[in-house]
Amino acid sequence: MATNIQTRLLGQDVSFPVKESKLAYWLVVLRLIVGWWFLHAGLDKFLAWPFDASWFVGGAAAQTSLGPVLTLFSDGVLLSFTNIMVPLGQTLIGLGLIVGALTRLAAFFGAFLMVFFYFVNGETGGWAHGVVTGDLLGLLIFAMIATLGAGRVLGIDAYLAKTTVVQNHPRLRYFIG
Amino acid sequence: MTELTTTERLALYGGGLLLLLGTVGIGLLEIVAGAPHPVSGDGQIVHEALVPITVRSYIILLGLVFWGAYATLSVARSPPTDTSV
Repeated sequence: MATNIQTRLLGQDVSFPVKESKLAYWLVVLRLIVGWWFLHAGLDKFLAWPFDASWFVGGAAAQTSLGPVLTLFSDGVLLSFTNIMVPLGQTLIGLGLIVGALTRLAAFFGAFLMVFFYFVNGETGGWAHGVVTGDLLGLLIFAMIATLGAGRVLGIDAYLAKTTVVQNHPRLRYFIG
Repeated sequence: MTELTTTERLALYGGGLLLLLGTVGIGLLEIVAGAPHPVSGDGQIVHEALVPITVRSYIILLGLVFWGAYATLSVARSPPTDTSV
């Protein structure tokens, strides 16, 4: 069975069929793999606690375009905040994607983190492998997961969407899949 | 049928255009009019860029800022009318 997508893009009528079964399958696969990517990155840091982000926010990032912002987080309270929030954020983003809970919110923050990884890794490496890097592709996958609300497929968001809280507060739909 | 609103069009087309310019557009220009990009022994491309790579990365960053602003504004604006998506 296929659904016919009909819309307008760049002033043109756009129409194309999409096989629902393949789309649903693909959304779950992407969500699980990207979710594990971040869950693993977060848990790794907790397992090797204490985590120290100063090499990134104070060292690697200092000479990059995002340096003026990131170096503010390189000591004191803001560094302590970063040391907790990076592993905690990665773990929660990963968990959210794997179980499909608050998927859009998780994917937004995943993309947000990827912006920093993309620019700091890219610039410190002199963009030696071009501007389209694995970090940029990771960022785009997060954007796709958020756009398509992948948490509705075999995810907790499918149940959350039916709750009275979400139905009475439609704005919450922006955070769940 | 769903269509993009004017604000969505501005943010999504603007962001997408900048991202495509930074990656594909300038990338093509570098291939057509730029200096040759010899590959070093480590498989890295030696850049002698026509458009400075920093400028290119700023264009991409601006595109991502457009997208981020769109996502943030969507939440701040009115709640979705179509709650099925």
